[in-house]
Amino acid sequence: MSEITIQIQFYGAFRKFGASQSITLASGSNVTHVKQALSETLGALVHDSVLANDNAVLPNSYVFEGDAVLSILPPVCGG
Amino acid sequence: MSETIHVEISENPLSVQAACDFVMDDAHGAIDTFIGAVRNHHEGQAVQGITYDVHKGLAEATFNDICLEAQGFWPKTKYYVSHFQGELDIGGISVIIAVSAAHRGDTFDACRYVIEELKKRSPIWKKEHYPSGKSEWLAGHSLNDAADADVSCCGKCGG
Repeated sequence: MSEITIQIQFYGAFRKFGASQSITLASGSNVTHVKQALSETLGALVHDSVLANDNAVLPNSYVFEGDAVLSILPPVCGG
Repeated sequence: MSETIHVEISENPLSVQAACDFVMDDAHGAIDTFIGAVRNHHEGQAVQGITYDVHKGLAEATFNDICLEAQGFWPKTKYYVSHFQGELDIGGISVIIAVSAAHRGDTFDACRYVIEELKKRSPIWKKEHYPSGKSEWLAGHSLNDAADADVSCCGKCGG
C-alpha cells in the first residue's frame, strides 16, 4: 500500500507546536485517521477541531488518495 | 449592478466610514453598524491586548456565505464585514459590520445575524495578553457543531 504525506498548518492554540507538521499515512486514509494521528502529538484539543483545505472544512469521511496540505482549526472565537 | 457584499480580513486599522460608504444606497433609508472593540477585562481578569489569528481564505469565504444567507432572510440588503488580523491594544477595533436596507428593522436583525454567525463559524482565534506578561488562547466554538443553527455565542470566547 502506498503512503501519502499530509502537511498540517497550525492556527490558534496549536501555534505552540510551530507553524505546521507533516505526517505520513497510508493512501486512502480519511480525516478521522488524520485526526487520530495528530492527537498523539497535539492532544485532546484535536477532537474538538476540524480539518480544512483552502476552500472548506472537510467531513470526517473525506478520503486522501494523495499528498495534501491542510489546516487544523481549533474552536473559533472571532469578533 | 453594484456589489452588495464586501468582506475582508485586514491587517490595517478598520474604518467605520469605509463600511458606511460601501453600504450607502439611494434606495436604503437605514444603516446599522456593529463595532467590536478590545476591552480591558474578561471574566474578572485584566486584559491589556488581544492578538487575532485568522485563516484568511476560509474566514472571508465564511463571511461571504453568512452575508448571502442573510440576504436570503432579508432581501435587498447590503453588507460590509471587515475583521482585523494581528495585535490590538485596548480600544482597538476588531470587527466592523455594516448593513443597509430600505427600513431599519431589517438592518438591526440582519446585523445581529451576521455577528452571531461570524462568532460561531469563522476561523478566527483570540489570544489575550495580561498585565502579568502571560498570554492565553481563548476557548471557543467547535466547528464540529457549526451545523447547529440555533446555537448562540456562549460568551466564553470574549464576545
